[in-house]
Amino acid sequence: MMIPVRCFTCGAPIGHLWEEFKKRVEAGENPGKVLDDLGVKRYCCRRMFLSHVEISCEVLNFPKVS
Amino acid sequence: MEINVLEKTPLKLRLYIKDIPLHVLNSIRRVMIAEVPTMAIDSVVFTMNSSVFYDEYIAHRLGLVPLTSEKALEKYKLPEECREAADRGLFTEDCFVKLDLEGKGSEEGLVTLYSGDLKSSDPDVRPVYDKIPIVLLANNQEIRLEAYARLGRGKEHAKWSPVSVAAHKYVPLIHVREEICKGEECKKCIEVCPKDIFELKNGKLAIKQDKILDCSLCRICEEACPYNAIKINWKENEYVLTIESTGALPPKKILLEAIKILENKIDDFMESLKKEGVVK
Repeated sequence: MMIPVRCFTCGAPIGHLWEEFKKRVEAGENPGKVLDDLGVKRYCCRRMFLSHVEISCEVLNFPKVS
Repeated sequence: MEINVLEKTPLKLRLYIKDIPLHVLNSIRRVMIAEVPTMAIDSVVFTMNSSVFYDEYIAHRLGLVPLTSEKALEKYKLPEECREAADRGLFTEDCFVKLDLEGKGSEEGLVTLYSGDLKSSDPDVRPVYDKIPIVLLANNQEIRLEAYARLGRGKEHAKWSPVSVAAHKYVPLIHVREEICKGEECKKCIEVCPKDIFELKNGKLAIKQDKILDCSLCRICEEACPYNAIKINWKENEYVLTIESTGALPPKKILLEAIKILENKIDDFMESLKKEGVVK
């Protein structure tokens, strides 16, 4: 699905950082360094980014049944 | 009582507080989490949703978006009065802020609607962050909705809590008995400390003074030391209070608001005692 709006554990908003994170990691930067830059400090928030798979962009293109 | 500001940024506040009883500090902390009101979207009316996401999924995402609430605290009615209005479908102006979201997919590719696309009826209540993705739309998909935000408290739903972190911790007291410590020959505690607090100075074990507050009192160093030269303790009545805001309210406002609410609660309690004749 889409990137969660908030961290599951601590509730800090993280959704707004996702696009920059994605752009910079795809450009070849180290994910850990990018998270440090974005100010994502705790490991509960960091795993939200590192473990996220953006599946919805692909599912979206299948035809809807109902 | 003595209070020092250790860190102050728009979203974070760290205070070193001396001579405060722990239960008082804990009450303030708990009021900050559960009782300080903020604005958040509570009801969503969909007039059109042909996206692949369920209405509930989108409504849940909207609810979690933090909204600026500093001025709303004075402008709108308190949660207790507004809660029932929403159940009856009455979105009155003294309780609710209306936020509209509209979007259509395009042929060129996926369209993302962001929290910044929400059009608020009150400029004082708008999303804190503009770049939170809400929905994705492909070609021929459309979404139209009205969201209603109201004041609420963290005890009702965590989306209304103004803090992501509100915590207090003890101030560590690290005591090294220098006559037993072997210093350079051993170095076990330096290797083992997860917060990297110890160092060697002129062949002797020393504590990095700027890092002492990082100590989590885990006592791994105590266990690692073969000579029992390290003793970890904490100071009585000294604490570090950390507040991290979600952006809805500035941390200072959260703290002041919490103290006000706690005061009112105690006043209410006193009043009840008088009414029942327990005290005169």
